[in-house]
Amino acid sequence: MAQYVAPKKGLGQGFWPVTLLLTVLSIAWLVLLSRTNFANFLPEAAVPADQIDSLFKMLAEMGGVVFIYVMGFLIYLPIAFRARKSDAPDAIGVQLHDAPAVELGFWIVPTIMVVIISWVSVQIWYGLQQSPGNAFTVEAIGHQFFYEFRYPTLWKPVSQELHLPLNEPVTVKVTSGDVIHGFWAPEIRLKADMVPGLVNTLRFTPTRPGTYRIVCTEFCGVAHGAMVGKIVIEPQSTFKAWLASEAKTEGPAPAVNAAVGAAPAAAAGGAGSTGQGAAPANSSGGGGTTLAAAGNADAGKTLFAAHCSSCHSVGTFDEKIVGPGLGHLLNDSAHPNLVTGEKASPQAIENILHKGYSGPIGMMPSQQQNAISDADIANLTAYLVSLSK
Amino acid sequence: MAVAAHVPATHHDHIHPEPTSFIQKYIFSLDHKIIGIQYFITTFLFYCIAGLLAEVIRIQLLHPNGGFVSNETYNQVYSVHGSAMVWLVIIPMLTGGFGNFVMPLMIGARDVAFPWLNMASFWMFPVAGALLFSSFLIGAPEAGWTEYPPISLQGPPGTSLWCMAIFLVGISSTLTGINFLVTIMKMRAPGMTLTRMPLFVWAQLATAMLSMVATTALAGALLALFLERTFGVPFYDPAKGGSPLLWQHMFWFYSHPAVYIMILPAFGIVSEILPTFSKKPIFGYKAIAFSSVAIALVGFMVWAHHMFTSGMVPWLTLPFMILTFFVAVPTGVKVLAWVATLWGGRVHFTAAMLFALGLIATFTLGGITGVFLAAVPADLHEHGTYFVVAHFHYVLFGGSVFGIFAGMYYWWPKMTGKLMNEPLAITHFWATFIGFNLTFFPMHWLGLMGMPRRVPIYDPQFQSLNVLASIGSFILAASTLLFFANVYYSLTKGKKASSDPWGGRTLEWMISSPPPYYNFKKIPAVLALPYDFGEPLPYLGGELIRPNAHTKFAGEE
Repeated sequence: MAQYVAPKKGLGQGFWPVTLLLTVLSIAWLVLLSRTNFANFLPEAAVPADQIDSLFKMLAEMGGVVFIYVMGFLIYLPIAFRARKSDAPDAIGVQLHDAPAVELGFWIVPTIMVVIISWVSVQIWYGLQQSPGNAFTVEAIGHQFFYEFRYPTLWKPVSQELHLPLNEPVTVKVTSGDVIHGFWAPEIRLKADMVPGLVNTLRFTPTRPGTYRIVCTEFCGVAHGAMVGKIVIEPQSTFKAWLASEAKTEGPAPAVNAAVGAAPAAAAGGAGSTGQGAAPANSSGGGGTTLAAAGNADAGKTLFAAHCSSCHSVGTFDEKIVGPGLGHLLNDSAHPNLVTGEKASPQAIENILHKGYSGPIGMMPSQQQNAISDADIANLTAYLVSLSK
Repeated sequence: MAVAAHVPATHHDHIHPEPTSFIQKYIFSLDHKIIGIQYFITTFLFYCIAGLLAEVIRIQLLHPNGGFVSNETYNQVYSVHGSAMVWLVIIPMLTGGFGNFVMPLMIGARDVAFPWLNMASFWMFPVAGALLFSSFLIGAPEAGWTEYPPISLQGPPGTSLWCMAIFLVGISSTLTGINFLVTIMKMRAPGMTLTRMPLFVWAQLATAMLSMVATTALAGALLALFLERTFGVPFYDPAKGGSPLLWQHMFWFYSHPAVYIMILPAFGIVSEILPTFSKKPIFGYKAIAFSSVAIALVGFMVWAHHMFTSGMVPWLTLPFMILTFFVAVPTGVKVLAWVATLWGGRVHFTAAMLFALGLIATFTLGGITGVFLAAVPADLHEHGTYFVVAHFHYVLFGGSVFGIFAGMYYWWPKMTGKLMNEPLAITHFWATFIGFNLTFFPMHWLGLMGMPRRVPIYDPQFQSLNVLASIGSFILAASTLLFFANVYYSLTKGKKASSDPWGGRTLEWMISSPPPYYNFKKIPAVLALPYDFGEPLPYLGGELIRPNAHTKFAGEE
């Protein structure tokens, strides 16, 4: 018959000291959390951010304590009750099937914790629903791969930058022009999916001036990773001045003038309006011809299929997939300039392949984002130039 | 012990002859054990492919600007990685593999209820794998394993292959569910009442119900996606009057229960391994069995917690949030009962036991972050970020895959009749445990600080933690090689395993390793739960190989 090996006394050697140690660790965790301000890691730029952080903190308190106790006993018990060399070959443990009181505790303790978590979560959720009345409303529309914002007093949309006045409740109504995008402002702790055909609502009150990220959190296509916008929270006066200047630049035709992008490349494209040669090195067509000649159009064709064809056709400008068709870059009288505003030339094609583009009609990844080499760019340029012949 | 008397004597003597041709025996086999092993071979092959895809992801993310592969390739790689790990590895390995090999043995059956159906279910599965991986040839799906329309409507041609592959896996999984449900309900050995079933069988029962009911929703959704992509039937495209959220509801109505399809059998494996290596009964048998069923039932009512930011009537998020919180109760009961099982035991640290303990540790963390994600206001920040990636890898790798390795080490001697090299197996555990935590723990922080999912490039401020995660993933990949080295070692040089190398008490340990074609020459009668180590074995008749008085473990010599 097998040999029972019962604990020498009580619940086993070291049970209560270990429990005490875990309790001390739990208290230390709670003290540590109470002294931690999440805003130090990631600023809280608007009002519900603090409430959401307080819920997160409550969850971290409870979760941390549960984790400490479970982990502690999970490490202590197997070691304390390990099989020993001195055991009889058929040594077995305490033949305990259950202990109703302990088992009841196993049901009751998680239930109580879940009820508390539910109660706090519902309260904070309710707080989020209580939007301040008469809020100022902005529409945000996701596109592949940029954000567009519409203000009630502006005739034209603003691209990529959401300007908001400090301390004024705002309602952002989000939707999409093509596929599902995400509108996440990490510093505001809020997120809504931008779903075509559906309007989702975010409400908050900016409380901290500064420039913050808007990040796309729903996969939206080849340049999803580069779809990043900005929230600019500024004092009322600065905001009014910005709104006025935006209103002033409004022309009859929505030309390339609102291009303000997050990528450094966009600064070149967006700083000026139509017709500005962005790249200082831009020279005559002669230089471009040499460059294009340096590339291999056949190699470019393969590269195009691998890197470009999911967004661009080789048809006319209007044969769009995501971006415009690229079959007639150099001989399209309707579009003498590239989207960057540069006059169409092999050099301009190279520039956009190097730097990418971000502006009102969309966003094109840069050389780094596309993971292509300089030689690849020469080949692609040669191919694109050959299409226009 | 009074129940013993009435075992019908003649009824069980009818044994089919074993097929003699190689094809019938090993290829188109009807034997649940061979089919189980076929599942293991195929799923481990797919596991390697999908694992290499994961390494492509981690290499790309070594640098904020990526550059290892193009954006398109990257998107295809993570989409196929996720789809393959869920549908071609974890689900078929835990149900098709362990369910097939172990479950009929545990209930004292000679096979599953529908052997032909079982064979058909298996053979759909390599076809599905071939379809999914061949989609790389024509442009694999790019929109993640969830393939939300409308972006998936624009996806490369391979997206349609993806639909077909997952549809096929779905059929296979539904049929296996029906098969196992009938097997468990109708083919248990006499005397094995529901409350005498081993806990792994309870887990398979709950899983079978889930697979059978939930998968139909996915099949419908996939068919609609396929029709829309191929013939332009407008189900999901809002421009034509479709609804993109329809897909999300249908998809998650399946895919949330699928999370439990992926974890419950792993829980079952842990519930078998803990008593065997603690040499004591599982603590709270009924609580653990009931909690499996409770998780399965509540699991059907929480799907929209994946959609808190998608757009719902705000009040509707509340019932989904609170029900999701309540999943933590039966799950917590399970974890606490496991920990309590260790108390007062004689714990043997075998590789199987270490993986089971590792599962409890990592799954606990994954479960806790699950509560973080279920809280609607907190989810508004966390949804769609690397926090989610960390959470579900703690559940699906730290839970399911740890459970798979625990089960592999535990039942390997039964499957092959050979022992693994135990020190190598224990090294495998530690390498996996360290590599896993190094890979996925930093992702919690990355997500909270602002790194979204499914991006080939990222903000340079996140580079150091991404590099750490990538290093962890290289350790993880290398650790898998240790497992395959052990498989090779065991098959070529491994010591012969006895019928019961671990001193287990469930029925599969009562017959030879590997089991004979007919499993049980005579079906034994079952008198009690298997876990009473102090009592004589609770089986009567059946010409079982009685294990000798247990000496040392094979691995401890």
